[in-house]
Amino acid sequence: MSTLTILLFAPLLSAFLIFLITVLYSQTKQYVYTFLALMGSGLSALLALYVSYYSYFEKQVLVTHLFTWLNIGDFLIEVTLKADALSSFMLLFVAPVSFLIHVYATGYMNNDKSYGRFFAYFNLFVFFMLLLVLADNPIVMFIGWEGVGLVSYALIGFYYEDVKNTYAGNKAFIVNRVGDFGFLSALMLLFLSIPLGGFSFDNIFLGLWLIDSHRLTLIAFLLFVGAMGKSAQIPLFVWLPDAMAGPTPVSALIHAATMVTAGVYMVARFAPLYNMTPDILLLIAYVGAFSALFAAIIATRQYDIKKILAYSTMSQLGFMFMALGVGAYSTALFHMFTHAFFKALLFMAAGAIIVAYHHKQDIRELRGIRASGLFILMLIATLTITAIPPFSAFFSKDAIMSALYAGHIEIFAIAFVTSLLTAFYMFRMLFVLFFSKSEQRGQPTRKSMLYPMTPLTVLCIFAGLLNVPEIFSGNLSVSHWLHLADQSFFVPHTQEMLLMSLNTFFTLAVIVYTYKKYAYTDAIEFEKSDGMIANKFYIDALYTKTVVTVLEKLSYFFDKKISQLLIDGTINSMALVYLKVGNLFARAENGNVRFYALYMLIGLVSGFVYLYWSLRSFL
Amino acid sequence: MLKGYMILSIILFSIGIVGLISRRNIIVMYMSIELLLNAVNLSLIAISADLADSSAQVMSLIIIAIAASEAALFMSLFVVLFRNRASLDVNLFTILGGKE
Amino acid sequence: MQNEILFAILELISIISSVVMISAHRPIDSALSFIVTLISIAALFALVNATFLFVVQIIIYAGAILSLILFIIMFLNIKDENLPDEKYKNRWLLGTSIIITPFSLILIDLILRSDIAVHALRDEKFGTIKDVGATLFSQWVLPFELVSILLLVALIGAVTLSKKEA
Repeated sequence: MSTLTILLFAPLLSAFLIFLITVLYSQTKQYVYTFLALMGSGLSALLALYVSYYSYFEKQVLVTHLFTWLNIGDFLIEVTLKADALSSFMLLFVAPVSFLIHVYATGYMNNDKSYGRFFAYFNLFVFFMLLLVLADNPIVMFIGWEGVGLVSYALIGFYYEDVKNTYAGNKAFIVNRVGDFGFLSALMLLFLSIPLGGFSFDNIFLGLWLIDSHRLTLIAFLLFVGAMGKSAQIPLFVWLPDAMAGPTPVSALIHAATMVTAGVYMVARFAPLYNMTPDILLLIAYVGAFSALFAAIIATRQYDIKKILAYSTMSQLGFMFMALGVGAYSTALFHMFTHAFFKALLFMAAGAIIVAYHHKQDIRELRGIRASGLFILMLIATLTITAIPPFSAFFSKDAIMSALYAGHIEIFAIAFVTSLLTAFYMFRMLFVLFFSKSEQRGQPTRKSMLYPMTPLTVLCIFAGLLNVPEIFSGNLSVSHWLHLADQSFFVPHTQEMLLMSLNTFFTLAVIVYTYKKYAYTDAIEFEKSDGMIANKFYIDALYTKTVVTVLEKLSYFFDKKISQLLIDGTINSMALVYLKVGNLFARAENGNVRFYALYMLIGLVSGFVYLYWSLRSFL
Repeated sequence: MLKGYMILSIILFSIGIVGLISRRNIIVMYMSIELLLNAVNLSLIAISADLADSSAQVMSLIIIAIAASEAALFMSLFVVLFRNRASLDVNLFTILGGKE
Repeated sequence: MQNEILFAILELISIISSVVMISAHRPIDSALSFIVTLISIAALFALVNATFLFVVQIIIYAGAILSLILFIIMFLNIKDENLPDEKYKNRWLLGTSIIITPFSLILIDLILRSDIAVHALRDEKFGTIKDVGATLFSQWVLPFELVSILLLVALIGAVTLSKKEA
């Protein structure tokens, strides 16, 4: 049993045990589930810290070969776990954040009647996410990829008694299928194109130069389609806001910190491939930029606290894709790293508010809440997401900004506007929630929900120190650790300083403006809740009109006409024919020897005629 | 003349089959079977004469013997069937159909 | 030439009488016309010098078997109401004839195409009792013995069948 095996299978084991207990004995005490769930995720979190420590300081790659899956001729697919720098870096935040959210969820889901089921899913999710991260070849990665999608589906529709939640789950699943189709097609093309040896990442990257450049572009594009679906980028983003139908820990874990970043991870994993296809990289950058801007604009007119956060997630993912698109892979990953912390913190705080205030989610109804602890947490997370120095996201976002500035100035402009919008909608939410003349008192927040937020807060503040840029006399240690195929950028230090100052200055200005507008005023009440922005630019309606309706009509057509009339009809009439023919032959078998002789005669004569006819040329 | 014999044999054989299949009277069916045997005998004799080999004649002799034993069995069969059903209609004898 | 004329006459007689045999309604008519067929066939045997078979045909068929049939018909005292009601007899005869026609035509065609021919060879001894007997008891002893067993079996079988059930 190697470290990686235990790391991977601990959550699976606990998920399985929880499942067994849930099925076999329904009166199980809640603490049994709590214990099992925390054991599974806690063990993998500890081991993940160890593995990344090992990778960071020892510069070693842990490899565990589990078994050989396929061995056809000289083609080999091994199921191997591999913790190289990139995987270790992913482990570094995925597993611990998962653990913290598990702890949080024990408070959030307290006394829920499906407590066991929830943690079975949750641990299963951790397993698939770790599989995705640790996979040594794209096929195993795809298993993890599909697995997290499946668990996400199950958790979005967790409260399945309300049909709306089920629809949201279906939507997430189906939209993700489009992305998966892209991913899978890309894998098939790669499979066809890689001539020799195994299908591991290393092998693929070795064989890349053999592939025709058009096909390579197609592969890169299809892979990106997969990333689009998983990471909620235009045009496959529609599922993410609806996914907020699940319990808040689900949103925190799956739809903020881990699963939605799988697309970013995948693109970074295929960095050598993308470096060979600059067109697709540019496309990624533009898709990221527009997704970020688009989501930020929509977020300014949202009232549901979780939906605001969902759009901000999409917007931040857009930032990551912008960074990927200009070839700054490690920068994107570092932003993903800080994002995991502050977004998890934001969701946890939001969840705490929701629980404390009777499951209200509309910020207009939640105005004027008084909860100083939650306020401080929320303020820190919001300052982090708006990239105010010295919070962690400042470093990550600034790195993205300077990469964009050096790469594509027009994308930089979009990113700049987006970051100002981010400040606007995040502080709008904050001010509306906490700065109001009216006053609301809620129930106190449970300890088990408050405690996991503390380490996250610390991380929000200090995680940026891991990758301090040169300008602050840092050494970009994470980037050096990851050692990805980054493209290099050069921005003069004076310009970079200027950028940072401008960025911070404008952000602060926006915050002041937002304070003026929303704090202690009723401005939020006067906002119109219709129009382009509030209706998400009618994208959902457009999809409904173009895709869903057409598909429904087609399905109806296939059901009524093709299936029932043509196929069922054919089969039924064939059966009827057999019945009729059978009855006919049954009547022939009447027990009268004379008739049998007649049949024999007919057969004899036919055989005779046939023989005569076929042998007539010999006569 | 040999071809004439053969053709006559074929015609008689066909008539025998027609009678065997078409008639419901069991005695006529029996006589049709005898006709079949006779048709075969006829062709055997013709061939024997053609080849000047009396083996074929021995064969028809044996066939006649078989026809005689067949006759004996059929006669007793007639008696039994007629005793049971008071009819010569083969359509009544359908035990083979499994319906009785 | 003389033989050809005789053959044609006998052929006609045998065909007509056999057709009457299969189409007669009452079995007694069938039996009587069958006797005609058998005798004409016996004559055809004689025409190709198969004198022994001619005798056997007359004695066994026309003499023994047919008289047995007539005997049975009379013994059973078959009345018209005992006869099957063959409403569709003619249709059946016609239909079966149509079915069998291709078979016969093909066979006849094959016979006509084949190169068998009439040999003029007429050995004086051929077909006599001595000749046939010599063949029978030299080459065909075993079948002869088997036939005797067959006859015995038929004898016992006939007795067993017609015995009244106890």
